[in-house]
Amino acid sequence: MILTVAEMSFPTGWIPPYNTLVVAAGVASVGFAAGVVGCFAVLRRRALAGDAAAHATLLGVGLAFLLGGGRRDLPLLLGGALSTAIAALLALVLIGRWTRTRDDAATAIVLGVSFGAGITLLSGISARGIPGSAGLEQFLLGHTAGLTAADAMILGALSLLTVALVALFLKESTLVAFDPLFAAASGWPVTLIDYALVVLVAVMVVVGLPAAGAVLVTALVVIPPVTARQWTDSVGVMLPLAGLFGLVAALSGVAVSSAVPRMPTGPLVVIAASILLTISLLIAPRRGGLARWLRSRRTVAAWAEGRLLEVALRLEAQGPFTREQLLAKAPGVAADSAFKRLVRSAAIEPVVTRAGTDAWRLAVWGRELAAERSRRLAAWTEVLEVAREDARGHLTIDVPSPEAILGAARMKAIRESAAAARSASGPG
Amino acid sequence: MMEFDSTHLWMHFWAIATAATVSAGCALVGSFLVVRRLSLLGDAISHAVLPGIVLAVLAGGRPGGAGVFLGAVVAALVTVWLTNLLGTHAGLAEDAGAGVAFTTLFAIGVVLVSALASRVDIDPGCVLYGILELVPFDTVPILGLEVPRALLAAATVLVVLVVAAALCWKELVFTAFDPAAARAAGLPVGLVSAGLLVATSLATVASFEAVGAILVVAMLAVPAAAAELLVRRFHRMLLVAVALGVAGSIVGYLAAWHFNTNAAGMIAVVLGIEYLLAALWAPGDGIVARVVSRESLRWRVACEDRLASLWRAEEGDAAALAPRTLLDRLAQARLVFGGRIVPGRAGGLTDIGREEARVIVRSHRLWEAWLGRHVALPLDHLHPPAEWIEHHLGAEVRGRIAADLEGDEGDPHGRDIPPEEFPRRPAEPPAR
Repeated sequence: MILTVAEMSFPTGWIPPYNTLVVAAGVASVGFAAGVVGCFAVLRRRALAGDAAAHATLLGVGLAFLLGGGRRDLPLLLGGALSTAIAALLALVLIGRWTRTRDDAATAIVLGVSFGAGITLLSGISARGIPGSAGLEQFLLGHTAGLTAADAMILGALSLLTVALVALFLKESTLVAFDPLFAAASGWPVTLIDYALVVLVAVMVVVGLPAAGAVLVTALVVIPPVTARQWTDSVGVMLPLAGLFGLVAALSGVAVSSAVPRMPTGPLVVIAASILLTISLLIAPRRGGLARWLRSRRTVAAWAEGRLLEVALRLEAQGPFTREQLLAKAPGVAADSAFKRLVRSAAIEPVVTRAGTDAWRLAVWGRELAAERSRRLAAWTEVLEVAREDARGHLTIDVPSPEAILGAARMKAIRESAAAARSASGPG
Repeated sequence: MMEFDSTHLWMHFWAIATAATVSAGCALVGSFLVVRRLSLLGDAISHAVLPGIVLAVLAGGRPGGAGVFLGAVVAALVTVWLTNLLGTHAGLAEDAGAGVAFTTLFAIGVVLVSALASRVDIDPGCVLYGILELVPFDTVPILGLEVPRALLAAATVLVVLVVAAALCWKELVFTAFDPAAARAAGLPVGLVSAGLLVATSLATVASFEAVGAILVVAMLAVPAAAAELLVRRFHRMLLVAVALGVAGSIVGYLAAWHFNTNAAGMIAVVLGIEYLLAALWAPGDGIVARVVSRESLRWRVACEDRLASLWRAEEGDAAALAPRTLLDRLAQARLVFGGRIVPGRAGGLTDIGREEARVIVRSHRLWEAWLGRHVALPLDHLHPPAEWIEHHLGAEVRGRIAADLEGDEGDPHGRDIPPEEFPRRPAEPPAR
């Protein structure tokens, strides 16, 4: 007997039924596409415009429900949602063009009023007891349990289409996202591409509705790109990575919500995405908190060592020096541990050598290091005094902040005396 | 939900009073947020206070009680701190940072509400759109009157906000409009901003029970933005915003009663309509005023261009252009009707028309002459600016330019500049 996959009855309980698998696949592709499209929303700072569009979808769902004569047909409802989402974006553009109201207030107005209208409509529908209206509230916070396999396939297909569009216009979108002025100067239709990207965000917000709900679906578009941004500096990597994070977040949210009764999906998806983000913020290479901390510790240590060497070179003129003498002349963060490292280095390539129980002397290598450091410092001092522009051009962003090395109090004193010197020398 | 029933009029009165009080407080705070471009802070805070409220209720606080307010303020501060943290450490733009922070906190709140539904007396739906209709049923006795607890909380917050605004008025306004100068003048700008933050969370929590987390955004931003379109002075803006907020609450509630739907949502819709009306009809730079002034300018320019073209034809320089566009035809009709142009196909200028046309051509040629003398422009570049400015030069400016030209009678193209005043009986126009 030959069975189709759908008809197969699995003997063991742990393999989920066909419908669940299809819904999971649909939600996964929604998560992936939301992450990919969201990258441009985040890069172009359209995150909150997407939020306004998301809150407006509720009104469209209600209108489509009424127009469709009370059928709960997902494509119809989502079509309605998309039209009001785009209307909301249009309202944003019009307010910006026609009134004095600034962007932030315009976003808040569109968001609040369209959501209010949606609530009014849905609540009016449910107060009149129109049959089939009970499930409409699920669009507020998301609920995937009611999705059929056909619905999920539509969602998945739309998501893949969106991703394909982004891939097709990758070059144009990237150019507009990073350098709109250059793009405009090179003759690209920047406004058109910009609007197209915002409309794609609206599409993703709508497609994400069943999974995350009107109130929280923005998070599905915003958080995965932000997470991906922690791991890479390249758009080519960021897009698939954001998609991957979105996919994982959407899937795990849906999985947890199906296990807990009466738990809406949206918040769980958002929390899953935030957990991924938190982990990334901590452990991502280069930009992560851990990497930053290690880097700043290394820098501080290197500076402390250099400063000890410099002082040691001066002290040595009067013969061997003690640890106290050295540390008294070179106070500061991490001086103590730097001294320990200098002593330990004796085993490999001696920087200092022991000249008594607590008497030290610079080794040949240490003297060379100290001399080289003074030479470099002198050279940089000259550069900073004479050719400041060169210094600015060659110092990278990784230059440690002076506060990290000298301490905040010392830095404040330096700044004050510099300001005093400036005002004493007078303007000009 | 709400059926008309006179025995329940008191209930409706209390609900309306609560909505209006809440709205007044929000409009007050919202005005500061809008002028400081912080409307989205209101958005973020209104979402983010949820977990604070839930945790406070879980810890035994009563909705509307001091503990809940404290929880909400802490949650609001956490959001702002998180947003700043994401900004400085993860290099996020402010909107993305806020988007991450408040959606996450709100999600945590919703999950808490859903998971602890049996222990926390908060309905997930009410979190989103409030339960203004149920507010009158939870009362406390004051002076023998059963006053809704939500109204009491909202009124207390409103009094606190008004007193705080009055006490710190100078600091608030200075910081709002010129933070750099305020800092230079030694004002504690950071402290004022933090105070505004706390005020926003107080207003939000007071509104929470009545209108829910998201519609607070409308109450904060919409009346203030509408008021900003209507008036120019900040203290008036505050008053107008509060008035719009209160009016919107009353009308919105009554409309919700009439249409039998959610009151908080309807209030947001009415506020939106108020904003739309303000944007359309604001004096000076409302959409209608701007369209009217732009169209009337276009209309005047069309009429004047028509007159000038006929004058040039009489001068014999060129044949008068036939009116081509719809606007031109309308202008022609208007000029005929106003006695500037002789009716009929030939349609020359009447005496009045000729007077007016002469002034326009005079403006045009004076400007060309002046440009030709003082600005090194090639001859063929003189016409466009003159074509524009001929509609805007007054008699005084014309006089000054003429004086500057020292009686030079011709324009750079070699045509005469018509005089400002003709003798009473104008001479025949130069023959062809």
